[in-house]
Amino acid sequence: MTISHHPSDETLLRFAAGRLPSGPAFVVATHVSGCAACRDRVAAFETVGGALLEEMPPTPLAPEALARVLAAIDGPPRPRPGERRRPEPPLLPDGHALPAPLLVCNLGPWRWFGAGIRVSRVTIPGDPAARLNLLRVGANRKLPEHGHAGLELTQVLSGSFSDRLGHYRPGDLAEVDSAVDHQPVADPDGECICLAALEGEMRLGGLLGRLLQPLIRF
Amino acid sequence: MTASPAAPLPTREELDRLLVVVAAQRDRQAFALLFKHFAPRLKTFLLRSGLPAGVAEELAQETMISVWRKASSFDPTRAGASTWIFAIARHLRVDHLRRERLPRAGGPDMLEEEDDAPSGEALLLAAEREARVKGALRTLSDEQAAIVRLSFFNDKAHSEIARELGLPLGTVKSRVRLALGRLRALLDGET
Ligand SMILES: [Zn+2]
Repeated sequence: MTISHHPSDETLLRFAAGRLPSGPAFVVATHVSGCAACRDRVAAFETVGGALLEEMPPTPLAPEALARVLAAIDGPPRPRPGERRRPEPPLLPDGHALPAPLLVCNLGPWRWFGAGIRVSRVTIPGDPAARLNLLRVGANRKLPEHGHAGLELTQVLSGSFSDRLGHYRPGDLAEVDSAVDHQPVADPDGECICLAALEGEMRLGGLLGRLLQPLIRF
Repeated sequence: MTASPAAPLPTREELDRLLVVVAAQRDRQAFALLFKHFAPRLKTFLLRSGLPAGVAEELAQETMISVWRKASSFDPTRAGASTWIFAIARHLRVDHLRRERLPRAGGPDMLEEEDDAPSGEALLLAAEREARVKGALRTLSDEQAAIVRLSFFNDKAHSEIARELGLPLGTVKSRVRLALGRLRALLDGET
């Protein structure tokens, strides 16, 4: 798989720093799990994190801190709440496996979102308000023209789409900045399935968009 | 442990070795030395990340507990001790914010799923990569290094940063792009 569209360095740095909101972080994790180049980049940025940790001036801990930690490491590991992988991971509608980072998430039902478009809300454990969605866009179907208040990240899982900024195939991540209004269109050769997250509010354009705006919480 | 203030900082190799010893021999003395080096730095790191002092203290301790429990998954050819421990603290911080249900928190645990074959570039020895990163951080201008640091300690949008610095948004964006472009070039070994 040749990947031609990657997250920006800034987004990868925020991801490596643990500073992306969880919706975008899961889209980037999905991309990174399939992209060796971005894995290397994230590893380099994590090394920046390690270097920053090294250069921190020490702040004394509470006097009993080491004793407490030594007592805790003797105890049984505390079970981590929340993240349990489901026994049978669901498949995407086209039979593809769900990307590994999404296995801890809950997938909502596929809901109508305009002609030829369906949306399934992805719920992230511990962060129910996060905006993360799977999109199914029929061949040649257009998403409503829209702009956003923040970053929009879209990872192609199957099929392909185009907008005025490029052509995106499986493994590609489209990163669109707040200023841009764009209208993605699925390619004619079949349905396109994507994982998408927004950092801010979406502003829909056109009559259809204005009708849909109250229905969605993208 | 004798804590003379003039004691030299342990080298990267020493820290890596301590962590390997903790994993292989469950050696509590080696662990105590790691604690002495890392816990106070973790606390500062977490404080600068915007956490209150009590939480920074608690998460610094929790990070060290995870260091003990996960030590067997530490691979010094992949990342040095400080990078590996940074990643644990990052995950615990995100986890903590999720438990607090802050809407901006979140992020998948990258530590658990790195079992895929490393790419050619990833085989670059971790030590070499760290030396390169440290060199790059020294080579950046003060402003550029500050921008890179800001990404770790701040999750404000650029528009907010722009407002605080009294700079136009476009200027902030282009400076960030410039700083990261320079960092990328340095990491890729160009000059
Ligand atoms: Zn990539």
